[in-house]
Amino acid sequence: MASVVFAMLLYLILDVFVHGYVLGWDVASIHTTLYGNVETFEEPILIDSLLLQVHIDLFMGIFSLLILTAIWIRFCVEKQVLTWVLHAVLLSALLAPICLILAYLSSAFFLYAWLATYCLWHALALFIIVMIFRKFRSP
Amino acid sequence: MKNLALYRIPIAYLLFYVIAILVTGIWLFLLSQGLDSSEGFNALLLEIIAKPEMKSLHNFVEVAAPHMFAMGAMVFVVAHFMLFNTKVSQKRSLMLSSLLYIAMFGNIFAYLAIMFGFVLSGWIKILSILLFVGLFLILLGMVAFSL
Repeated sequence: MASVVFAMLLYLILDVFVHGYVLGWDVASIHTTLYGNVETFEEPILIDSLLLQVHIDLFMGIFSLLILTAIWIRFCVEKQVLTWVLHAVLLSALLAPICLILAYLSSAFFLYAWLATYCLWHALALFIIVMIFRKFRSP
Repeated sequence: MKNLALYRIPIAYLLFYVIAILVTGIWLFLLSQGLDSSEGFNALLLEIIAKPEMKSLHNFVEVAAPHMFAMGAMVFVVAHFMLFNTKVSQKRSLMLSSLLYIAMFGNIFAYLAIMFGFVLSGWIKILSILLFVGLFLILLGMVAFSL
């Protein structure tokens, strides 16, 4: 069980690098990737490529979170915290890819919404991993 | 097992994720058939039926390989929740899951029939997508009902 949680930890870290390389590492470069840049003659990303990333994000997100949440529910004793974190992590991981495609199709507001939800679900998933490892260490 | 009721939360969210994955999957398929061109949706459907976009074996394998794993795993994960339900009979769940797997294989391999010239029209791909999505939505409904 510890191995699968460790694998999820590595997945979350590598997922940040994947999105960094595909979309960019800061808001300006993500903006250029999504909308292009007239001054530097950069074309926006193709909708096919972005939608494929969103499609993969949804699949990987739910599979990794199903594994993590199933383990955490088994170990966690603080039911109130657990319920809130479960809702927050699952909702933000669902909204993040939706916001990314909306950012491409409508406005830059959703770009910030994507950044917020993406960072939130990764932070909460890391929190769950830390809590599971703490439980493994305690007798 | 403690906290048993809390398992309903990730299962409930799973249903929404699956719907989003199905929508983006269909969207990707339509884009590969020329959705972003100026013609309307109905014209595109007629064009897919009359003359589907030709794919090479390389294109087919590139799409089929990850989908074989991902769709198989997704159907299995959603269907296995029916094992714990008490509201829908096990026989119905088993029948639906089996049909869903058959529709899944039909959906993945439909393009092979077009590529090798067994079927000239693209109706087989559209029909297989509709069948797979329809059966999956019924399964999702059954899981939601048994939550």
